[in-house]
Amino acid sequence: MAHFELICPAGTPAALRAAVDAGADAVYCGFRDATNARNFPGLNFSVREMAEGIAYAHGRGRKLFIAINTYPTAGNPGPWHQAVDQAASLGADAVILADYGLLDYAARRHPRLKLHLSVQASAANADAVTLYRDVFGVRRVVLPRVLTVPDIARLTAETGVETEVFVFGGLCPMAEGRCSLSSYATGQSPNRQGVCSPASHVRYEPRGTTLVSRLGDFTINRFEDGEPAGYPTLCKGRFVARGQASYLFEEPTSLNAIALLPELKAAGVRALKIEGRQRGKAYIAAVVGAYRQALDSFDRTGRAEVPQLAPTLADVIEGRRDTTGAYTRGWR
Amino acid sequence: MLIQSHDEAAGPSRSGRPLETAVAALALRLARVAGPRLGNPVLDRLSQVFARRHPRAAEALAELPAATVLVDPTDLPSGLLLRLGPGGLRLRLCDAAATTADAMVRGRFGALLDLAEGRIDGDALFFRRDLTIAGDTALVVALRNALDGEDIDLLAEIDAAAGPIGRFGPKARQHAAQTAARVAETLSGLRSALLRPEARRLDALERRVARVESRVESREP
Amino acid sequence: MTATMNDAQLTLGPLLFNWPLAAWHDFYARIADEAPVDSVHLGEIVCSKRAPFFADHLPDVIERLTAAGKRVLLSTPILVTTDKERAAVRELLSMDGVAFEANDTGALLHLAGRPHAVGPYVNVYNEGTLAWLAGRGATSVTLPAELPEASIRAIAAAAAPLGVAVEVQVFGRIPLAISARCYHARSHGLYKDGCQFVCGQDADGLPVDTLDGEPFLAVNGLQTLSRRYLSLADRLDGLRSLGVSRFRLSPHAVDMVEVARLFRAVLDGALSGADADARVAERVGEAGITNGFLLDRPGADWVGAAHP
Repeated sequence: MAHFELICPAGTPAALRAAVDAGADAVYCGFRDATNARNFPGLNFSVREMAEGIAYAHGRGRKLFIAINTYPTAGNPGPWHQAVDQAASLGADAVILADYGLLDYAARRHPRLKLHLSVQASAANADAVTLYRDVFGVRRVVLPRVLTVPDIARLTAETGVETEVFVFGGLCPMAEGRCSLSSYATGQSPNRQGVCSPASHVRYEPRGTTLVSRLGDFTINRFEDGEPAGYPTLCKGRFVARGQASYLFEEPTSLNAIALLPELKAAGVRALKIEGRQRGKAYIAAVVGAYRQALDSFDRTGRAEVPQLAPTLADVIEGRRDTTGAYTRGWR
Repeated sequence: MLIQSHDEAAGPSRSGRPLETAVAALALRLARVAGPRLGNPVLDRLSQVFARRHPRAAEALAELPAATVLVDPTDLPSGLLLRLGPGGLRLRLCDAAATTADAMVRGRFGALLDLAEGRIDGDALFFRRDLTIAGDTALVVALRNALDGEDIDLLAEIDAAAGPIGRFGPKARQHAAQTAARVAETLSGLRSALLRPEARRLDALERRVARVESRVESREP
Repeated sequence: MTATMNDAQLTLGPLLFNWPLAAWHDFYARIADEAPVDSVHLGEIVCSKRAPFFADHLPDVIERLTAAGKRVLLSTPILVTTDKERAAVRELLSMDGVAFEANDTGALLHLAGRPHAVGPYVNVYNEGTLAWLAGRGATSVTLPAELPEASIRAIAAAAAPLGVAVEVQVFGRIPLAISARCYHARSHGLYKDGCQFVCGQDADGLPVDTLDGEPFLAVNGLQTLSRRYLSLADRLDGLRSLGVSRFRLSPHAVDMVEVARLFRAVLDGALSGADADARVAERVGEAGITNGFLLDRPGADWVGAAHP
């Protein structure tokens, strides 16, 4: 039985080296523009840095995938086409795409370029995956974070397409690529600008002893003195419904599916993905290292032994709590 | 599970980094007696060294629109005003309470140092309450991301920037600038204290800084 | 107003909310008899658990609407994850005598090679995707709500030579997100599996406020909508000039016949867009109206009249 492939994020060349050194089988990155869904200030790779990153990964027997997973702007497809062309000429091991038109372009223009379907395409069932497989020759699908493990098992068996699932990091409670919550409040969306709840629209306002986090014109959360604060990602805010304030959509938790390794293996999952191209290299090194250790131990014993991360890491995990998310049915 | 409880989570800044904080406090006292005429060239030198050692980050910061970020260490007497944008990075000491900027990061010096060295990331920045962000949040995130892309070892940075300070000393002596010379000597002592931390050495330095202060003050009208 | 405005069509989108069967029946009967809309979309697109209540009654309603001269389209669900839900889509798409609107990639697989509509839940952000869809049989696309004017212009320009009609939503709460998790159930302390169909309690969705008490969103089971109502009556002229020929009204518990008449009147030049928007604003009350997305602003913004 094939080993799980561990797919790790990198927002900078330093993070890429950290991920490779910590045991990533593949690293995914984006170019420094709106063609990728983590278009955050100061992040991502120039063409030269991407070439160096590929050399670094390949030199150590690892792979590099390039995410070009926003939806090209109408009337201006140039940057997206160029990104695909550059990925092909740089020798990326795969491109991660979401838009039908861009998949069509890549499949026609670069028939040898390996295509992965981005989570932003939200292919949530076997029929959808079949279309991407048959029409564009997509070889691997990153599944949306809304499926249960049995859903994943059936989809993988029926389509024969490699499946990649998120196992760690930020959790979208909504179907990815089909969410305009961010743009409703800020005018900027994951699909168009590659950002969600962008920092440019975030403000922290002290009000007496409480700290209020605002996104655009809306209050997203309020923290009492001493209460751990959160970044005001819209779906992880506190809102009032039926007279009660609560984390209506999702608590500020972090996905961690390490305990589900045996189930994910039985479901036929090919690759495990860590979220967080916006996270720092120290975080990436720690998380990738812990997962490497867990996967190696799983290969030997078939059991999911949960390693202890350095205590310092608990600090950088949102809400300091984790969840197995939609993979287990109770989440719904 | 992977994630431990809040109480067990002794993050980097919870250790407080007392040595670095103490040294920084002394350096700031020194900077105050030295005045901007001596202090600013040292800060400019630090920016230049940073740009040379970390061209990627320097370029990223230069690509930002012209803007200022006030770094306000709550446990130190001075703030640091960063100017970002087309002119490149510029650093200036300032009175944090009297300074306005496009964005502000406030916290204990240890936490700010973790931020500068990439020990905490852009998301974690917001999960903890020991840092306060105000104003243009995107600017702070951009700064943090640019720094995290580098392998920054602040001791090595300061060492590289401080290199010429040693040479600056004798030159200043020729011009009979006694204060400058003493400042330079004390600065290089602070540098050594960071590289080879010893409590006694820090105490000795503290006394030295105090002497420099009293000499300068006694000469003031 | 120019004569070309008169080939503009009004579409009634699928009902997004869980209304009692009787109210559902009455609603479509009245639409058939009184509403000046050209097309009507049917089908439960939000939650597969609701669909069985209406399935047996669909043929009657289709017949009634068709008899009234409406073109009827069946819309497929937004989020399809289980094999049971997939089977339901295949069954829906096997119905005779109606057209279909695809709302996910799976439905596009089944509809390939026959004429079909593409719904607003399929990501059509650019002309490359539009051309690809047209090549597979799409005859119309309803664009995602967050697209600004500039994108609509470029897509509509590409659509014309391909014979694809472009539609945009012009009235109703804006669909913002879909999840596998039921927020209606969650707000009642329940899970999706034992939801007791609490979504049926809120005819236009469950109001969600910020902690400051400001109206913000509306929850509709698995779906999250804007609290404000999109109202683009004053923008119809501009959209028409971009090449948009169909305008979608999304059903709500307000008087939808009146809403349809308002928009029809604007298209016919009998009422000013600003007046129609003002009437809509009166009807929806404190929730307010919005046009921000079209103007490349936050979707929650109301920018004001096109012709001040």
